[in-house]
Amino acid sequence: MLLKDEKAWQFVFPMEVKSVITRPSPGLLLKGSGFYEISGLAWSGNGTIRQVEVSADGGLSWALAALQGPVLPRAPVRFRSAWQWNGGSAVLQSRATDDTGMMQPTRAAFAEERGLRGFYHYNAIASWSINEKGEAANVYA
Amino acid sequence: MSMLKPLALLAIISTAAPALAQAPQFGQPIAPADLAPWDIGIGPDGAGLPPDRGTATQGEMVFISKCQACHGEKGVNGTNDALAGGSIAPGKPALKTVGSYWPYATTLFDYVRRAMPFQESKSLTNDEVYAVAAYILNLNGIVSADEILDAQSLQKVKMPNRDGFIPFPRYPK
Repeated sequence: MLLKDEKAWQFVFPMEVKSVITRPSPGLLLKGSGFYEISGLAWSGNGTIRQVEVSADGGLSWALAALQGPVLPRAPVRFRSAWQWNGGSAVLQSRATDDTGMMQPTRAAFAEERGLRGFYHYNAIASWSINEKGEAANVYA
Repeated sequence: MSMLKPLALLAIISTAAPALAQAPQFGQPIAPADLAPWDIGIGPDGAGLPPDRGTATQGEMVFISKCQACHGEKGVNGTNDALAGGSIAPGKPALKTVGSYWPYATTLFDYVRRAMPFQESKSLTNDEVYAVAAYILNLNGIVSADEILDAQSLQKVKMPNRDGFIPFPRYPK
């Protein structure tokens, strides 16, 4: 995996801890402000998901999500969290931590460690922006 | 409670052992002669290279007829991966090629013989693989046009990015 300088990591096999919000997500429309369930999947090639946190303000504040069992090593885990959408713009993020203690890095922290030229094994926190129409879009936040 | 757990475990072990002995016997041992056609891996140090040979001059004809349609004339600007040139210099998108990225020339022999041409892999003779590997290395300025590549000389080729790899710092325990 090519790093930000001219060096590359050799033999990188594990997919490190990662998560993604599957609902809401691009293509799914929020129909008006109110209560929604944020839901998604988390997994780690290094072990078992210990916790997943969810943010609706681009990572300024985080709430612990509930995990749906069984929570097994190297297996996707469904997480969910309640969210009251006020109808304004929002940035949804999920951040998983596995039982090795590794937490998903921000995109900036990921880029600082290994640059963004590697392509494979990208596991930074993913962000969906929500606009006033209730549309979700992938953004870097 | 503290006694129950070991007892329960013991029960599982004692019932599991006969179950294993009665497991269905799938498959059969493979004869060395049957395995040989599949055992074609080449080590970074050249282990496994066959006693054949080729030069870039010979490889050019192989490349034009077997590779160029996808990889482009002289290994650039094709519809598939570039094989020559490229750069992994910092601060811009990388173009990883045999010349700019690969640490070992021996991998080129393994990969071409195993996987190329895409639509008829394993169709090249060992001489053709050596020759086309020499041609690709020549396109990258790594070997001369008439240098004979064989098991001895290929593993001695020093690739430009030979020292470009460092261990992954977080191997799982």
